Amino acid sequence: MIKIEKVTKLYGQTVAVRDISFEVAEGEILGFLGPNGAGKTTTMRVITGYFPPTDGNVFVAGHSVLDEPLEVKRQIGYVPENPAMYHDMRTIDYLKFIGAVKGVTRTSLKERLNKTIELCALKSVVNKRVGELSRGFKQRVALGQALINDPPVLILDEPTSGLDPKQIFEIRQLIKSMAGERTIVLSTHILPEVSMTCSKVVIINEGEIVAVDTTENLGKSFVRTHQVELVVKGPSKEIKNNLKKIDGIGKVDNVGERYTVEMEKDKDLRSKIAKQVVQNGFELLELKSRSMSLEDVFIKLVTEEEEGDRA
Amino acid sequence: MRNIAEIYKREIRFYFATPIAYVVIIIFTIIFGFFFYRSLVYYSELSYQLMQNAYYAQRIDLIMGVFSPVFSNNAIIFLMVIPPISMRLIAEEKKSGTIELLFTFPIKDIHIVLGKWLAASTIIVLMLVLTLPAPFMAFKFAGAAEWGPVLAGYLGMLLMGLSFLSLGILISALSENQIVSIIVSYGVLLAFWFLGWIIDPGSGKTIGKVLGELSIIGHLSNFVKGMIDTKDIIYFVLFIFMSLFLTLRVLESKRWRG
Ligand SMILES: Nc1ncnc2c1ncn2[C@@H]1O[C@H](COP(=O)(O)OP(=O)(O)OP(=O)(O)O)[C@@H](O)[C@H]1O
Ligand SMILES: [Mg+2]
Repeated sequence: MIKIEKVTKLYGQTVAVRDISFEVAEGEILGFLGPNGAGKTTTMRVITGYFPPTDGNVFVAGHSVLDEPLEVKRQIGYVPENPAMYHDMRTIDYLKFIGAVKGVTRTSLKERLNKTIELCALKSVVNKRVGELSRGFKQRVALGQALINDPPVLILDEPTSGLDPKQIFEIRQLIKSMAGERTIVLSTHILPEVSMTCSKVVIINEGEIVAVDTTENLGKSFVRTHQVELVVKGPSKEIKNNLKKIDGIGKVDNVGERYTVEMEKDKDLRSKIAKQVVQNGFELLELKSRSMSLEDVFIKLVTEEEEGDRA
Repeated sequence: MRNIAEIYKREIRFYFATPIAYVVIIIFTIIFGFFFYRSLVYYSELSYQLMQNAYYAQRIDLIMGVFSPVFSNNAIIFLMVIPPISMRLIAEEKKSGTIELLFTFPIKDIHIVLGKWLAASTIIVLMLVLTLPAPFMAFKFAGAAEWGPVLAGYLGMLLMGLSFLSLGILISALSENQIVSIIVSYGVLLAFWFLGWIIDPGSGKTIGKVLGELSIIGHLSNFVKGMIDTKDIIYFVLFIFMSLFLTLRVLESKRWRG
């Protein structure tokens, strides 16, 4: 449904995204994950036709954003990062206005309005001015604005940022309820959001894509290395050196007395680690294994990338 | 077309939902009314004195005696009241970020600009329409109607007002700040005003002539006297067209740069 083809975008001399490509299949919810400044918003603005890419192209439902921007824009409902709206308008007038500008025919506008108000649970605020609404309702109005013309594609830039947990839950439910019906790209830097709502994830860092996979796979494939967490009393430098001597051990990190030890997949070195610690006269207080969460994968990908850059 | 109409309706609603339109229209009408009243009083005193002298009585008519000075003053009022109308048109959307929405909707930039331009134009037309009782009163007072030259004056007013507005939109597109937008508008409009005064166009120097041709006020003088010259019409139409064209270019280039 959406095809991003070697997109590069510069702001003056600064490279915001460099040569990124990925595809989103019809009906898929794709999580676009990256830390601040990674280039999420920039990519989304290219997809929506807000500005053209410096290089590369984007296709939405087969239409090129460069050659047929209006056709592309017709396919997309967009919720920008900090939803701006005409604060002087009442919710109902605002949605009507956006619907009409987006080209919803007069005959179907009423029906679309009712559907959108119901879907986004806006009934209680239809007569309030948009500027007076709470953050959560504003976000829902922004979603309503995106949905008013029934677009097959939704682009949501950090749709849950700045909301309280209850509102976050509601917005996520709403997004999930549209799975299969619409193709959705949602950006976030919150990991659980991806595992909770998305079927596929693209991780972007410093303007480049570092991973593309299904949410499940990404978790699995990076559990190449199991981790063991220990709490040991003693001088950390010596303990670390001792641990590293064991065959099959990867990185060893510590925060105070808490150590994280990575080991190769399919090797259970827990007993060896325990022995090594105790035999060298350190006091082992705790030992437990843990597999990598999506969060670890994300941090690993992003920091590895940075280390690679510095090298 | 529907896009333009929707943008237009929103802008009109905004103007009348806030005090802007009322304030501008009331101030304009009061000042216009004051100038008109002064001119009419002056004219009546003059014509009373001139009753005795048939030769002078013919020389001085309503156009030269009343409307020409009123229209000339009106140009200055327009210069004061149009930037407050135009300053927000694009600057506000840039500041609030709603321009991002408009740019991602399936509409063209030109629809956005035209919708806004037409809405602000409506206010200008409305201001002029509200002054129409003036010529009716004057004609009644003088006992004779001479609509042609007065309508020529109105046409000049309208074209000049739309020119101010178009330049105002261009400046609004260049800025995110409405205060900057209005101050720059005043500055640029005054500069266009004074262009003709830098070097006397009658001095014979080419540069003086060129500057005179570029100045707004120079192209108003014929209209005000009741004469329609195609050259003047072309000047104002080009002025409007160029301003709107540049506005579109500014919007485009801002987006390319991000
Ligand atoms: N208008 C702009 N002019 C210049 N540089 C910009 C502009 N907008 C963004 N950038 C830069 O481009 C890079 C990518 O920014 P972008 O906003 O796309 O990141 P993001 O992933 O959306 O970040 P966040 O999570 O903070 O929203 C950043 O380094 C940013 O500083
Ligand atoms: Mg962003």
